[in-house]
Amino acid sequence: MFAARCIGVSLAVFVLLYVFLSLLISQGWKLMRHTLRPSSARGAADLLFALRVLPLGLSVLVTVAFTLPSFLLLEPRSTGEAVGTAPLALGVCCLVLLGAGVARAALAQWRASRALVGWLNGSALMERHIKESGNAVPIFRIGNDAPTLTVAGVCAPKVLVSEVAIAALTSRELRTALRHEIAHAIRYDNLRKLLFRFSAFPAMDELEHAWSEETEMAADDAAVFSFHDALDLAAALIKVSRLGPVESSGELTMALLHSSTALSARVHRLVAWDQAHKPQSRGRWFYVVPAVAAFVIAAVMTYGSVLSQMHVVTEWLVR
Amino acid sequence: MKRILSLLRRAPDVHFGPLEQQLLSILWTRGSATVREVVDDGEIKLAYTTVMTTMDRLFKKQILNRVAEGRAFRYSPRYSQAELEKAAVGQTIRRLLGSSATAASLPLSYLVEAVSEHDAGLLDDLQRLLDQKRRELRSEIRGDRRSGDRRSKETR
Repeated sequence: MFAARCIGVSLAVFVLLYVFLSLLISQGWKLMRHTLRPSSARGAADLLFALRVLPLGLSVLVTVAFTLPSFLLLEPRSTGEAVGTAPLALGVCCLVLLGAGVARAALAQWRASRALVGWLNGSALMERHIKESGNAVPIFRIGNDAPTLTVAGVCAPKVLVSEVAIAALTSRELRTALRHEIAHAIRYDNLRKLLFRFSAFPAMDELEHAWSEETEMAADDAAVFSFHDALDLAAALIKVSRLGPVESSGELTMALLHSSTALSARVHRLVAWDQAHKPQSRGRWFYVVPAVAAFVIAAVMTYGSVLSQMHVVTEWLVR
Repeated sequence: MKRILSLLRRAPDVHFGPLEQQLLSILWTRGSATVREVVDDGEIKLAYTTVMTTMDRLFKKQILNRVAEGRAFRYSPRYSQAELEKAAVGQTIRRLLGSSATAASLPLSYLVEAVSEHDAGLLDDLQRLLDQKRRELRSEIRGDRRSGDRRSKETR
């Protein structure tokens, strides 16, 4: 009975926190973005990603680091107390939520793998781009019944280029477009999308869409080193969109052009490219380190009192 | 959005005649007006009774609100211009789709065609912008080369 209560309370705290934080983020992310005003598209994409996964991350952290230990250490094991209606109901909700998340992520991964196998059928390896980490991003030349230019694969992303894209783009345009796709692969954007599928929440669509737009712009920034490159990438975008209507190239993929509404904004941004405003490749995450360190030190120093307070909260939940 | 949906559901027709449109645009500009104020304004050269009948018709269509002011009424628009335009577009599409079951796909294909034409126009505009920027870049490079040549001649 003790184990059942421990699991019930932990799951209940997790689901309450997850729903509360998700609601808070889904309503307040625009305000956060406006307040923090990231200086680059990459910074904005990172901020939106952090906000999107914050409810899941924080809920897991609080459950594992505080709820579970507080229950195990402070709850007397001898009492024959029942699980309680509220923890039981919330625990079931949590299991349904987690189950749905796992199912969505697994389905998306299965569809993406199946599509990738189909696209790679009869493909030829063009080259390998060596990442800073030493791993390589393979670039495949694929048939025309596949997306024009896209990154597919979650843990081992691959860049796919169709024959029609190779024929339509000049060598400079193709090279810049490939750099854009490689930027997606290096940042594991498909893996991030998979995480979104797992931590689904109804009101998060707008935030995910904004992340998607910023990610595309961040990849544009990573692909462009001069005004000439910017014009080449803009030309590639226009040519690719002329090749066919913009449609979803499949789940967990990052196509060169993912939405027709973003095309105009991206082209205008690229033709206004300015060397002086080229965002630095290194982010400002360095400033986050002291904040995280301060949080960890504070958490360690006050851990005992936090655990006892958490136990009071869980006691209230069980009652 | 709810207002537009309710407008779509309730109002039988959000398409207006020329005089109705003219009166609506006057009321959107002024905020509210009596029939006398509209006639005295001079923008519409029509008889008082014609304007009164038309405004009464718009009130009955639930497009205008009215409150008694002395012996006359003060009219004001129930919806903003944007709301009415959205409702009109929605109603047109609904009418097209609902005209007959067999013809339902036909108007939708016209719509897709119109959107495609719009997309093609957008791409042409973007291409023109890109070509212009390429020309600017080329002339900038040529200018840089010329000034570089001049400088090297001077140093010689």
